[in-house]
Amino acid sequence: MNANEIVLSTFRKYYEDAEFDIPSIEQREFGIGNRKKIDSRHLNFATTAEFRSYLVSNTPLFVSFSTGYYRYPGATPMQKKAWTGADLVFDLDIHAEGKYGAYALLDKVKADAIRLMDMLKDDFGISGKEIHVNFSGNRGYHVHVRDRSYLEIGSDERKEIVDYIMGIGLDYRAFFELDDKKPNDRIARGPRPDECGYRGRFSRAVMAELANDPKSISRVFAKEETRKRLIDGIKAGNWNSQPFKVSDFLGRLAPIAAKLGLSSVNTDAGVTQDLSKLIRVPESVHGDTGLIAKKISDIDKFEPFRDAMMKLPGSGSLRLRFIEDVPQLVLAGEIVGPFRKDEEKEFEKSAALFYVLKGSAEIKE
Amino acid sequence: MDELDFAVRYPFSPEAKAALDSRATQLNESIVLMASERIKRALKGESGKSAALHESDKVNEIASFAAARMLLAFLNNRFITNKFAVSESKRVSAYLDSERDESVITRVGHELGFVAEKQGASYLVPIPVYLMFCRRDPNYKLINREIRNGHVVVSPHERVRLMEEAARKRIERVPLLKDPPKIVSDAGKRLIAELPKSDLPQIQVKPGDYPPCIIKLLDSVKKHENLNHQARWFLCVYLMAAGMGDEELVGLYSNLPDFSERITTYQVQHARKKAYTVPACATVTTWGFCCADCRIGSPLYWRGKGVPR
Repeated sequence: MNANEIVLSTFRKYYEDAEFDIPSIEQREFGIGNRKKIDSRHLNFATTAEFRSYLVSNTPLFVSFSTGYYRYPGATPMQKKAWTGADLVFDLDIHAEGKYGAYALLDKVKADAIRLMDMLKDDFGISGKEIHVNFSGNRGYHVHVRDRSYLEIGSDERKEIVDYIMGIGLDYRAFFELDDKKPNDRIARGPRPDECGYRGRFSRAVMAELANDPKSISRVFAKEETRKRLIDGIKAGNWNSQPFKVSDFLGRLAPIAAKLGLSSVNTDAGVTQDLSKLIRVPESVHGDTGLIAKKISDIDKFEPFRDAMMKLPGSGSLRLRFIEDVPQLVLAGEIVGPFRKDEEKEFEKSAALFYVLKGSAEIKE
Repeated sequence: MDELDFAVRYPFSPEAKAALDSRATQLNESIVLMASERIKRALKGESGKSAALHESDKVNEIASFAAARMLLAFLNNRFITNKFAVSESKRVSAYLDSERDESVITRVGHELGFVAEKQGASYLVPIPVYLMFCRRDPNYKLINREIRNGHVVVSPHERVRLMEEAARKRIERVPLLKDPPKIVSDAGKRLIAELPKSDLPQIQVKPGDYPPCIIKLLDSVKKHENLNHQARWFLCVYLMAAGMGDEELVGLYSNLPDFSERITTYQVQHARKKAYTVPACATVTTWGFCCADCRIGSPLYWRGKGVPR
């Protein structure tokens, strides 16, 4: 068997027992890819059983489904599908130097995914039951929201939500009502930490900064008494316990406001705005890594290189020869590598496929 | 307020349909004529409240709205339809502003798919509803709004503005009309013949010369969509910097459904006199007009990028 056959037969073996849970599968469009991520689309399946048996008999490297729901998901061209709504989906990922750079930063994306889910619950009032998160299979996480009231909103509305999540256009100065008589010296009312949305988030972030790194705002706050007075004031919406002019003080808070949004929402591909986007099917395998786009129930405990590896009991190991240098990686808490070009080593099968699919190694017969 | 008065004020409501049905109102020449007048007034940007006193006048007025929609369906002209929707939605919002009875406003909102819950002096609007009907305007930008558990806090005035937009979107959606009655198609043809050519503007924009944000705004203009002040200002300042003349700019803006030649001419000349600089990409993004990731710093640096190599 050549490498490609080994890869596909392994994927096939995985799909034989894979469990999919795809709500309204009959209303979704599917796309599969081998040379590219999507070579052909407009496929549709009536049941998950039918979908799985397709994957077993026509195993592709990549399989995606539409975030959108259609009356006729298999119809072409797109207009004939009759769009009825779409999940609200966020693609979080990270770009870094080199082929393997992003994997070291996956914890940062995970932290953003957690913040995103908190925002969706706290700010948007979406029930946790409607929020589904899965590993993307490569450099990030996907969050799917299936709340009915968001299904029918259009592309512009979704863009506005992305701006919100990313903190684009945030004008934190507008959170402060200035005193009518002394607008340069007194703040009549400012945001309280118990408020919802960015008002509360900003207020809490300033309090945290005062507690952890007060000097970044001003040396004045190095003194515990001064800083405590301001923190206590903020709790009640009173931001006047500081010696600065209003504009000077608010200016000092700009760096805190700038960090409130999520930076890892991928906007290049317009995943959230695109009403007919195809995105990796949760629980399918990613053809660039051999990792599963694993559905996650407890994201705090999730480790991609432990939990998203294909479980292939009794499938043995593969001997690899590296065809390029691979840096040292920390995968699921374990240090792996580095490997030099031409180095040979035996790996458990799913780990072996990771390096093969990354194009860093070949299988030694 | 009785049902008939409600129907006069809010002619898109089921009450309006019921008022016509219960009186077995038939489409006739005089109703179609009133409908044509209603459209012509909209094209001139006039939207007045009703002057109907007698029951028959009220019924005819309600029928004229329904007939106007049939005419629009027959004409199938986006510019006229959008102008009609803007004008009629302004009329709706004028009525809403004057309503004293809260339950009437709730009823109209319900009909428009708009819900708001009163809390103190403000209203709570569910975020998806808010997003569907808010203006693309920095003051309405979600991120700077007070949010409470899935709802946006809006003032009574803002609530009416949101409902106006909901009404505009509703009225803009004209049903398909396969076989229009002859009196409708005749009136439609007469209406088109009566309109001066200049009332139906066409614009020519060479694609590829402008950055994506400008192309998107120009597309909106082409589709006769309503742009907010910020969008108009940005487009104007950009196009001036790109060498467009005042007359051409006024001509371009005549595509907008609420165009007034006097006001636009004044504003274009004012902008020319002030020689505003084109805002940087960061500002454009804040305003919500950025739609691509060109990384050019200012929309002005686009020039040349669109030229195929």
